[in-house]
Amino acid sequence: MFDGLAAVSQVSLEIAHGETVWLRGWNGSGKTTLLRLIATAISPTFGGGSVLGFDLRTERSAIRARTDLLSHETRLYGDLTAVENLRFACTLHGIDPRLAGSALARVGLDEVAAVRADRFSQGMRQRLALARCLMRAPALILLDEPYAALDVDARVVVDELLSTARAGGQTVVVASHEAPPAWLIDREVTMDGGRVTSAGVAP
Amino acid sequence: MSLRVAQAIAAKDLRTEMRSRSAVSTVLPFAVTMLLAFGFALGPDRLLLARIAPALLWLAALFSSVELCHRSYQHEAANLLLSPVDKGAVYLGKAAAAFVQLIVLLVVTTGIVIVLFGLPAGRAPALLLLTAVLGIAGLSTLGSLLGLLAVRSRTRQAALPVLVLPLVSPVIIAATRATADLTQGTTAGISGWLSLLVAFDAAFLAAGYIVFGHLLED
Repeated sequence: MFDGLAAVSQVSLEIAHGETVWLRGWNGSGKTTLLRLIATAISPTFGGGSVLGFDLRTERSAIRARTDLLSHETRLYGDLTAVENLRFACTLHGIDPRLAGSALARVGLDEVAAVRADRFSQGMRQRLALARCLMRAPALILLDEPYAALDVDARVVVDELLSTARAGGQTVVVASHEAPPAWLIDREVTMDGGRVTSAGVAP
Repeated sequence: MSLRVAQAIAAKDLRTEMRSRSAVSTVLPFAVTMLLAFGFALGPDRLLLARIAPALLWLAALFSSVELCHRSYQHEAANLLLSPVDKGAVYLGKAAAAFVQLIVLLVVTTGIVIVLFGLPAGRAPALLLLTAVLGIAGLSTLGSLLGLLAVRSRTRQAALPVLVLPLVSPVIIAATRATADLTQGTTAGISGWLSLLVAFDAAFLAAGYIVFGHLLED
């Protein structure tokens, strides 16, 4: 609830381990709020749920350790370079900082590793956030409008991330108003007015 | 792990400050302007200026800490929230970075106060240094906790001074009195003020370590 308004209401949704689900709906349909709830960025006012087998209310830290949320808010530090951003993320998530270099190479940012993130375009920042996600390899990846502000090359990187996640058995939930790339997803879920209107459409 | 996280947070904050000069460009001019305004308002009475200089110095440090600690969490609370780390370690890192920045700020403002108000150095520089360290530790430990509250709270920045000022009063009073006594060459009774500072620093640090995670989740 936000100021008395239910952004998401009576949502009942099961996503299997390793499944790639495309959450589709117009602006204001509740997609982003649902992703933020799953990522534990916000708490549900009512109800609850389980993410990767952990309770959404009481085991938030366990969920965070296994989940990455990528949205237009890239959660990057503009005054740090690309590689410093990734190394800092490594410390916060307890992973080997040597993975930062290869992650940057995978998203095509290895040549600007020493450039500050505030000098990057929005698309490059999105790619850097993708690199952070690749480096962490979380069990659950939540992507909010991942193609927004990306050029063709960067869109390929998102597709690669989806493809790699699928092959690696990672669970992915993508929220987008765009039509899904059918070859990369298992199921399309539609939302409208904060509710799931269809939960099982195969593309 | 926790210590490494605290170190990483502190290093990141200091590195971003070194590059953005955010505190230098906003907090320092604010403190300097405040001191100059008081200097002009109080007139040329050197004795009066020297007598109130310690209070002005610590008031400048207090207002600077409010601004600095609030800025410290802007655009970052979500990242800290979603990181699966000991939130107490995050708090320690934040407080350590604020401590270093406020110490630098205090050095600069002390120089201004010495020149402008004729604040004497006293005869116990080590005790004066200890007072500075303990006073700034109090401001940074409390400010780092309440700075987060201001960012997470719906009332936002307006809540910060309202919360900080009453809680930090004992630190400001003790630091001001200790500085005043030491700069006037008096060391009698100084241990009482320093003990008060140590007690409040420890209380703020412990409360911050315990409560920070809850505030972040709220």
